[in-house]
Amino acid sequence: MLADLIQNTLDGLSIGAAYALLALGFTLIFGVLRRANLSYGAAIMFGCYCATWTHLNFGAGLLLLAAITVAGTVLAGAYVERLCFAPHRGGSMIAAMVASFALWMQFEELVTLVMPTHLYAFPALYEGAPLAFGPYTLRVDALVMFGAAIAACALLWGTLYRTRFGLAVRAVTEQPAAASLAGINLPWVYVRVFALASAIGGVAGYLVVASHGQITPMLGMWSTLKGLLAMMLGGLGSLPGAVVGGLALGLLEAHSQWFLGPQLRDLIAYLLLFVLLAARVPWMHTRSAS
Amino acid sequence: MDFYFSLAQLIGVHTLLGLSAYIVLLTGQVSLAQAGFFAVGAYTAGMLTVLAGWHLVPALGASALSGAAVACAVGFPALRVKGLMLVIATLAFGEGVRLFFFNFDYQVAVDGIRLGPLGGEGFRQIRFFPENGWGTGEVMLFMWVFVIAAMALLWWFDRSRYGSVLRAVGEDELAAQSVGINLTAVKVSAMTVGGAIAGVGGGLYAHYTTHIEHSSFNILVATFAIAYPILGGLRNVFGTLLAVIFVQGFLVEGLRFMGDWRNLLFGALIVLAMNLRPSGFLGGRRRA
Repeated sequence: MLADLIQNTLDGLSIGAAYALLALGFTLIFGVLRRANLSYGAAIMFGCYCATWTHLNFGAGLLLLAAITVAGTVLAGAYVERLCFAPHRGGSMIAAMVASFALWMQFEELVTLVMPTHLYAFPALYEGAPLAFGPYTLRVDALVMFGAAIAACALLWGTLYRTRFGLAVRAVTEQPAAASLAGINLPWVYVRVFALASAIGGVAGYLVVASHGQITPMLGMWSTLKGLLAMMLGGLGSLPGAVVGGLALGLLEAHSQWFLGPQLRDLIAYLLLFVLLAARVPWMHTRSAS
Repeated sequence: MDFYFSLAQLIGVHTLLGLSAYIVLLTGQVSLAQAGFFAVGAYTAGMLTVLAGWHLVPALGASALSGAAVACAVGFPALRVKGLMLVIATLAFGEGVRLFFFNFDYQVAVDGIRLGPLGGEGFRQIRFFPENGWGTGEVMLFMWVFVIAAMALLWWFDRSRYGSVLRAVGEDELAAQSVGINLTAVKVSAMTVGGAIAGVGGGLYAHYTTHIEHSSFNILVATFAIAYPILGGLRNVFGTLLAVIFVQGFLVEGLRFMGDWRNLLFGALIVLAMNLRPSGFLGGRRRA
């Protein structure tokens, strides 16, 4: 029993690291733009399919595939930003959301047109057996995911708190109007934040796909929903919150799957989120949220 | 001709879905829960006609009631939060409903055949229309009676004091509250009416397709529900109808000759429409 609990915790933390990365990208976009980007996951899927296409046609090493995934996601992110968010600055939140939803469908359609088979194999990050610590096992790709999540957090923290660009981002997050008066070029900040968030999403997408060893068009919806859930659980607009939310979601899923079965796993996560939101727990209601 | 009747049926169902989001949007709230109410209505009507042998009309009444009851029950806790928090809370609820039906088994033997919802496989054989010998034309007329009734109801709301109250809350909550409007009551009532309309739409949808499953009620459907009134504008109910005709009639059916590339253009045209008219085709001065 205890052994199972510990193993589940390890598994939960492994998948939680991926959720944390997804949530970091989401939080960045939300914190700065105050907009829900529904096509975030679809852009990640597009990046992963770019890498899959390259792999099938030319064959490429793991690092190159990761680079292509990130590049593809940033490219898709730029497309989304130009079409959905640039025209609606200061305008309605919901017009941007509906537009980003339309692009989500576009990405899914493009991917299924170019690569019509539903499921493609993706070169795995690590082929060998999982590491064993006594009775417990830990997958090597989960360790890589952890490492990547920690590295991404550190990089992001450094960018936000140790550079001029980070200062501008934080100023815009706090007070867009005041930041603009202080001479910060708002569109410039928005575009770069979008690119940064897309790059983090690309890394997350690559790691998820490479550890699953396969890719389907469902990846888009999956990453949008998991990223949103993790971001909300940790509290909107907070970077440490995104990481904690991601890990918490991973743990919750692993344990509820063990106790209640795989069918109820997702249901529990949504129920918990709904209850927490409606109960207005304090950490979820930062000033930027409403 | 059957093709056009069938298209008109589809447009009718989607108009009801859009209208259910329209009245909630009037109060300034963005809800992704409409697909959940739609699902509740679909399963309720389907189970009543197939398993209990009800006529469709009372079954649709039950759909409306169950949709409204669920919407009211969800509205109280959910509408305490606003903006993106509400979007996510209602999304969580909608996905929760979908996953509930993904796990929902209730099969009964009717005339020796086991019928009813069966988890991931969905609910097959909702054959009220063919069993009673209704042609596509009659089904279309039947559906449009409900669509027109819903449009008339909302049109009347818009003309009445209630409509002004809804729009006042949507325009400026603080100002509305300061003149003595009970925000919770207004928002929850709008959500309840929306739930009833979505419930009827779901009941009609179940009988139109004869087969429903959890994936017919996912986040895409929920987003379509709010996309219609946003595309059409919130000035009046005809905006929503126009947007449904634009999307289902023109973008989905009209562009079919373009084959596989249709959906790429589909997305681009919605983005274009949003960028050219951020407050909708028939949009007024206000933005959601």
